[in-house]
Formats: sequence, C-alpha cells, structure tokens
Amino acid sequence: MSYTPHITGWGVASALGVGRERLRSALLRGETGIAPVQRFDTSLFRAKVGAMVPGYESDDRDPTALCLEFGSLALRDALEHARLDLDCLRSRRVALTLGTSLFGDQNTESLARDLAKAFSIEGPAITISTACTSSTQAIGFAADLIREGFADLVLAGGIDALTPKLFAGFDALGVLSEGPCTPFGLQIGTTLGEGAGFVVIERGGMRDAVTYSVLRGYGLSGDAFHETSPDPRGRGVAAAIRGALDDAGALEAEIGYFNAHGTGTMANDTAEWCAVQSVFGPELGGALPLSSSKGHLGHAQSAAGVLEMITTLECMGAGLAPTTAGFEGARPGGPPSPVGTKKPQPLAYELALSSNSAFGGNNCALVFGNAGAASVDPEEVRPVFVSAAAALSSGVNTMDELASIYESESPPAERKLRIDLAAELPRVDLRGIDRASELLTAVTSRALADAGMQLRGKARERTGLIAGTLRASADSLERFHESVERRGLAKPDTTAFAQVLPSAAQSACAKALNIRGPQSTITIGEGSGLMAAALSARMLARRRDSDRIVAAAVDVRADDIEGGALADAACALVLCTAPTAVEVAGIGLAGPEHLDEAIAEAQRRWGSEEPPDLVIESSKPFAGMPATSSSFALAHALGLLRRGHARTVLVSSKGTTASVAIILTSTEITHDN
Amino acid sequence: MTTDLTDYVASRVAILDLVRQMLRDTMKLQIEPEAIDPDAPLFGTGLGMDSVDAVELVIQLDGAFDLELAGSPEAFLTIRTVNTIVDAIMEASGES
Amino acid sequence: MSLEDEYRAVRYGAALSRMEHVGLLRLRGDDAIEAVDAICSGDLWVRDGRMLQTLILDEQAQPIADVYVCPDDDTCILMVEGITPEEFSACLARHADPDLEFELENLRPEHDLLSLHGPYAWEVLSKWLTPDIIGLPYLSFYRFDRGVCFRAGKTGEFGYDLVMRSEDAEVARRELLELISSFGGAEVSLETLDLCALENGFFSIRHGSPEGLTPLELQLQWRISTRKPFPGALAIEERRAEGMTRRLTHFAARDGVKTGDALHGPDAPVGEVMTVAFSPGAGGLVGTALLDISVAHPGIDEFFVRQGESTTPIRTVSSPLLVNRSLLVDPHRHSYSTRGDLSPLPLWQGSLP
Repeated sequence: MSYTPHITGWGVASALGVGRERLRSALLRGETGIAPVQRFDTSLFRAKVGAMVPGYESDDRDPTALCLEFGSLALRDALEHARLDLDCLRSRRVALTLGTSLFGDQNTESLARDLAKAFSIEGPAITISTACTSSTQAIGFAADLIREGFADLVLAGGIDALTPKLFAGFDALGVLSEGPCTPFGLQIGTTLGEGAGFVVIERGGMRDAVTYSVLRGYGLSGDAFHETSPDPRGRGVAAAIRGALDDAGALEAEIGYFNAHGTGTMANDTAEWCAVQSVFGPELGGALPLSSSKGHLGHAQSAAGVLEMITTLECMGAGLAPTTAGFEGARPGGPPSPVGTKKPQPLAYELALSSNSAFGGNNCALVFGNAGAASVDPEEVRPVFVSAAAALSSGVNTMDELASIYESESPPAERKLRIDLAAELPRVDLRGIDRASELLTAVTSRALADAGMQLRGKARERTGLIAGTLRASADSLERFHESVERRGLAKPDTTAFAQVLPSAAQSACAKALNIRGPQSTITIGEGSGLMAAALSARMLARRRDSDRIVAAAVDVRADDIEGGALADAACALVLCTAPTAVEVAGIGLAGPEHLDEAIAEAQRRWGSEEPPDLVIESSKPFAGMPATSSSFALAHALGLLRRGHARTVLVSSKGTTASVAIILTSTEITHDN
Repeated sequence: MTTDLTDYVASRVAILDLVRQMLRDTMKLQIEPEAIDPDAPLFGTGLGMDSVDAVELVIQLDGAFDLELAGSPEAFLTIRTVNTIVDAIMEASGES
Repeated sequence: MSLEDEYRAVRYGAALSRMEHVGLLRLRGDDAIEAVDAICSGDLWVRDGRMLQTLILDEQAQPIADVYVCPDDDTCILMVEGITPEEFSACLARHADPDLEFELENLRPEHDLLSLHGPYAWEVLSKWLTPDIIGLPYLSFYRFDRGVCFRAGKTGEFGYDLVMRSEDAEVARRELLELISSFGGAEVSLETLDLCALENGFFSIRHGSPEGLTPLELQLQWRISTRKPFPGALAIEERRAEGMTRRLTHFAARDGVKTGDALHGPDAPVGEVMTVAFSPGAGGLVGTALLDISVAHPGIDEFFVRQGESTTPIRTVSSPLLVNRSLLVDPHRHSYSTRGDLSPLPLWQGSLP
C-alpha cells in the first residue's frame, strides 16, 4: 500500500445528466447541457440560458436542499463506480473534502456536515469555499490527506446550484453571454451552470479497486489583483500551473492535454491563454491540445473543477480529448485552435492538466494521469515553525491581552471592536473593504510585521494565506440581499455581490498585502482556524512553492444565524520553514466525533513518549467565535512557549465537521524523530 | 448675473452637491464631497473607481435621477466626471 | 508635418514622440517609497507594477512638478515634469527625513523615453513588443528585455511610455516609426501632445499658471492627501478655510481669444483666459479659464472677451471635450484595418458659440 493518491471512481449530477454513464454518452455525442432557464424568470436579465441538472430544471426549492440532493446523487454514483458501500465508509479513515460556496442563511460547512452524516463518513470533512476553484482545491487537498496519511480514502468534489440571485449578480456584472457560451470562441461571456461531482481518491493498493488514474499533484496561487477580474497577463494562473507541474514532478512536455477554465469571458480566456504560452512556451503551447468543458456543462462554479476533471477522466479513459461544445471559430487573443470539433477527438495521452480560476484571484491546477505513470517518491518533509501571531477581538488587541484573557479564564469585555486600518496601512487602498476583509487584513499584516516580514520581490509569490471562516462578511451579505429586495433582481449591488463569497476576505487581504502564494479559504465550522493552521503546516512541510503561510481565521458577528458568530474576531499566525523558537511538532486530523483519535495522531507524529506539558482545548473562553477561537488558542500556545511557561503544548478542537490537534514544542528541547 | 444664469447655476450647484454626496455615501469614496473636483476623472485615474463601481454607479444614478443609463451603450461617456453626470441629469430634466 | 496632420495621427491612428522634457529618476532602497511620500502631495497607495499620478507643491501649494510614481518592489521609477533632477534632489533634502535609506539616480542621459499615443497605439506595440500588451491595464507597467513599458498618456488615447537605454531607444524609434507609417502615424511634436492634453482636461505643469493657483482652483484635489504632511499642505488647509474664490473651467470659442484675456459676464468681469489653442477636432478654439467660483460651471454662453468695440463669446464646457476614438476601440476585437467599422459617434459632440 502506497501513499500515492489513486482515483478509483467518480460520480456526477451535471447538466449533461445524473450519473457518469449519462455524462459519458452525452460527451461522446458532443451534446450540450445549456438550455433556456426554466427555474426562474430571466426576462429582466440579458442572459437567458443556463446549464441546469436535467430533472431539476424547474426545481426552485431552497438551494441548500437542492445542493444536498445533487451531492447525494453524485456521491452515490461515485461509490458505485468505485465499488464501495456505506459499511466500507464507516471506517474512520475516510474523509470528505467538499468545494461549495453557499451564500445564504447558513454556514457553509452545513452541507459537508449533512453529507458526512448521510454517508457515514467518520473522518474529517473539510469545506473549501473559494468560488470557482473550490472543488479543484478540494481535490488538491484530498491528495494531501492521502499523501500525508491523514486518511486512507477521500471523497473529494464540489456542489453548486444555480439560483436567481447568483444569476442576477453575474448578469449585472456583464459577464454572461446572451446565448450559450463559446469558450475561446466568438461569443463573449459565460453561461452559469450547476451540479455536483465527486472523485474517489484512495491510497494505491489499499483494496481490490480499479485505479483509473493517479492524482499526481496540484498547484495554488493568488492573483492579488482585483475582486472580479483576473490578472490580464495570467501570471497567477501560470504560477498555479507551474506549482502543479512541480508538485507532480512532471515536465511541461509530458502534459498531453489541458482542460482550461475557459469560461468564455474575454478577461478569463485571454489571461488563461497568456498563462499557457508563458508556461509551455510558444511551440509547446501552440501544439498542446486544449479545450474547455463549459460549452457542455456551463460554468458549474464550485463544482466546475471536479466536473471538468471528471469530463477529462471519462474522455481520457476512452482515448479521447474532450471538446469545446459550441465552438465555431477562434476569438482573436485566444488559442487559435482549441479542440473544438463536434465530438471529442481521438488522442492518446499520459498526463492531463486541469486548471480553474476564481473571483478574487484564486487559481488552482491539477495534474493527473493514467495508471502506470511513475508515482512520485515522497519528498523530504521539512520542519515547520511558528514565527508570529496577531489577535483581534473585543478586549484583545495584543498578544499580551490575549494571554490575560486566558489567564483570567473569563470572557473578554464587551466593547465594540474598532480598528483604523488606514492608519496601520497608509499605503494600501482600502476603499470598499468589508468587515471580514478589514479584520483579516489587520491581523495578517500585524502578524507579518511581528515576524519581521516585509513582502518584497519573490517573497510575495512565496508567501501563502489560508483563512478559516464560516461565511461571507455579514455586512456584504446584508448589503447584497438588501439591494435585491429594494431594487429588484435586475439591479443588485454589484460591489457587494463581488464580496458575498466566503473567500472574499482572503482575496482582499492577499491583494492589500501582495500575497501571491498558495491560498485558500476553508471551513470546518467551529475549529476552522486550527484546521487552517494544520493545512498550512502540511503544505509547508511537503511543498516547495512557499516559505511561509499565514494561517488565519475571521468571524464577523452574525447572531441571527444558527451557529453564527456572536462577535467580531480575527487571528493570524505565520508558519514558516525558517527555524524559530517554536516548532509544529505533530498534527492530527479526525472526524468530529473522534477528537481522541486526532490527539493520538498528533502525539504519534510528534514521536515523544511523554504527553505534552499543557493541553488547551480551544473553545473557552472565546465562545461565540467559531472560526477564530481555535486560532486564539494556538496563538496563546505560541505565547506560552515563547515565554518559557511550557515546553510542549497541545491545542485541540472538536470542530463541527472535523477534529484537529496540533502539538507545538519549544525548539530548545531535543526530540527523537 | 442674469436671472437665467443665476437659475442655471443654482440648479447645477444643487445637482452637483447631490452627485458628490452620492459618490461619498453610496459609492464609498473616502473624500469629502466638496473635495470632489467637478471635472476630475471618476475612472482609471482621478478618483480611481473601477468597472464594478461603474455598474453600481449607473444603477444609483438611474434610481436617484430618473435616468436610463443602465444598458445604454453610451453610459460610459456620461459618467466620465461629475460635471458630465450633471450635464446628463440637466439634459434629461430639460433644464440645459 | 503640419499640426493638423500630427493631430490626426494622435487622434485616429498612432503617433510617436520623444519625451525629452520628462525627467527620469530612480530611487532605490528600503525607504525609497517613504522618501517620495514625504515630498509628493498625494497618498501613495503603492502596488507593484502600478503607476500613481501625483504632484509636488511649493510651500504656497502651487504645483511645481507633475509626477508619475512607479513602485517596483524596492525600486521606484519616477517620471517628472516641471523640475530638474537637481531640484528634485533638493526637495528631498529639504523635506524627507535624513535617516531614510535610499539612493536617487538620474536615469538620463543613459536612458531615453519614447511614447506612443493613439487609438491603435496598442496595436503597434502588440506587433513591436508582444501581443500581451493588450492585457496591460491603464496606469500599470512591466519590464521587458530592453526596458520598461508604462501604460499612461495624457491625450485621452491609448498611451504607452517606453524607457530604454539610449542605444536601444534609437533603434526602437526607427523600428516604431516604420511600423506606425502603416497606421496613418507620424512622429509628433510636444505642441500636438499639449493640444491633445488640453482637449482632454489633463493638467500641464509647463503651461505655467498665474500666481496663487493651488490644486483646489486647478481641480486637482484628487491628487492631494488629507491625512499626511507634505510641502504645501498647510497652505491648502488655509485656502480651504478661506474658501475657494476661483476655479479652472474649460471653454470653446470660434476665434479671437488669447492667453491672459479678461473674461466678462453680463454685469462684471468673471475671470481670465489661462490657455487657449486651435483644436482641429472642435474646428475652433479650446482653452481653460480661471473663473469666479460662483460661475465656474460648464454650459454657460454669457461670457465674452472684449476686442475693442466688439465682443467674442465663449462657451464653458465640461471636460474631456472629446469622445476619444480610444473609448470606442476594443483591442480584443478591433484593429486599425477595421477602423471604418467603429461607431460613428463624432469626435466632438459640442458646438461653438
């Protein structure tokens, strides 16, 4: 049994049909799932079409319920393909990584929680909410869970539903085409879609399963450019592609097919083509077969990444390159000859690369290939250290204030949290920044300053940011919903719309501080901050594309929502590979009911016989700050270690959809590894 | 000043003030209304608003002044500066 | 080439100019931006690869330099009009904290600045430099093998500035001239560029202004910070407290108006003419005037210049005066060869009094 992530099955509920058989036959026939929208009235909008899941075209129930249904259909389909049943799944070593960005009245992790329960997934369930790269990132993180031995099997995918408000927002931004989109083609604009997809990723050789493909690697980056437009020269996309190739140990020349994000908008398609030419060079780039699946599936948003990967897997298995449905001629400024035939083209290839980009500049690319491709040797694991932290909430402005709250064991005083970010960052344009972005930017900038880091030159590409947060900023959500109520769906507040993503704060922070390295926004509900730290630490340990990652968390008061934060709070920790006084000695992840497993795992990875000096269970005294309280605990642990009040500290969190345990040690102690 | 001129200037100033207020309050420009030069470019350089702001500004103007800029291909010409916005508002209400 | 021909090149095709009047400076060091921040009037919202347009004022808040600040990691390139490098250095010495760590370098004479302007300037560069140039956003820049390409411009058309070593600039100039000949283009003079700037409402530091004009009167408050100290800040505060009494306003006229002419209203003088030039686009004169604040508004026909017994009317107008062709050109879709298909909106939508 190896730690190589093998893809042993997949399942879909897509615009081309429910079930992978329907998907495959529709793809082979060159069909499109784009049709006039029936679910809601489009007379007020410029765009009239969408890619809805067949059988649900007129289904206008609550999007969360729709998403749950799509997700369940896709999961069942995937389990069937991989020949797994619920008993198999009941093992605790099964995890779920889900890309979704619900922007409504619920916390984003609720979908993962419900799916995990329905499918008896007892391991950690992590939700990634980075808009159009959500499921791509989910697949990448799944690879990490397998490679690191945190899970033996991961169900990785994404879900999204097409709602009137989503349609209205994109239409108002002017990015939708009136008729079906033609990526890289003559119509300008994209077509929204929906659906769900899951891939089954497991350790090679673990059971008698068919390996259809090997997940070789992934890359992440941020444009740090604009809320809705990508960097027009595609530098962020190029960085993600290079990161994926590097992680996969693959050369550009080995990629036989490129599945582009290819939304059909001018901004995306030209930037992406710039990136392809930049990474592959004019000759290889010109010859590389590429296509976009959005002509078939529309832009399935959070599910785009997984559905497009599955499209590639289906075709790859049949010796075909997927085509760009609806293509009738190349647009100037884009690739002159994408695969645009009516049906997929015969093509034999060993490795494929799939790329996605999101609002706010997140980019993610995956490299995967036929079974039989050489697996990559596990690279050397680097030690990871914590260099600084910053904490912010009512009554907490400094690390000392944080420490005194823990020492007194009483909750912080109720005072309105006020910061003057413009004074702290006089050189940054903070116009239009919302509350979550403001708080996250403040703690991230303070933590970086505390670490003595001024992000210059290459450091910008080699600094990452992983933020844990449960939803978009309450003020942006309110502004957006209120604008729709007051002015109608035809005139939503577009500046608010650009910010109603859970990842908006992470993107705004990255733009303000020039953070271009690997970045993401994740949630496990309660405990998100600690999970962000765990993921950051593993990325630094294994990957070579960053030197430091800021692991952060932010909560904005939303006490009208069940499980919503009761107060504003934010925290950031700088994790790095350069040695400092405090090391991340052990990490454990497990399902929400198995905190003891997570703790045991962290202890085991640490490798010490002794228990830690101190244990901090993270929710008190910062109750009502679901994402941030666990980060505060970790920051407090850092403080204790630095002051010599302990030599080893365990911080744990029984989160809503996962348990996390991190052991920090003072580097003055020696330990056997 | 002639009465006509006085009235004209008074109308302009009233609308000018409303538009500047809107830029500060709804478009969240962090600048006092009086400090918004009437001929300063709103987009690109000048006040530095961007294409997403443009969409919102047009909706706000249509709503507040009963214009029909949204969806009009020439809206971008109208919203170049505060003065050009005031020109459009005065023309729409037949006052120029 | 006549001014009219040069104007046509800028407004309808692509034009080249050597910008010898623009100072090229480079500051390096940890505190390079801080040093610039100390003497420039505007907030330096620094983003790598972006350009910020700002001013240097004297203690009376009169503009002495028009500056593009171009931060690039811990280097900062400055394009400075209005003062010499020595004067700039003296300004730094006077106002910046002496402990700041930076070095100031004059990039001339080893480097030159060439500029391209026009609705198809991007197309010329996409052939000469790279097709990616279409993706360069306004007010940003990037390094290429032979130099740095900035996208800015003060004509209202697509504008690109190329800073290169002088030897390379000479070769580039010849290559670009050859390319632009197929774009109805030409090398154009500063006079033509100044005319275009005037038509589009761009401030020109070289068209010296009467005493006592601050960014308030000049409609340049957007280049003034309200939160940091800078030379001239106090004078601006004082002027604000006193209240502005005059404001720069654009106008059009048929003829017979010159710089310095007094402007009269029905009852009283209302101001004076600051700059004026013949505009082929308007078919008449366009200019700027300093008007009494109570009447400094576009759309007024009641003002005039006295010439002996007769009067010449002027019409105040909003700037920019033109519907630049560059607003109608989409580099992703259009090209010089299809310029006939452009929207028929006229260049000048106003009329002369």
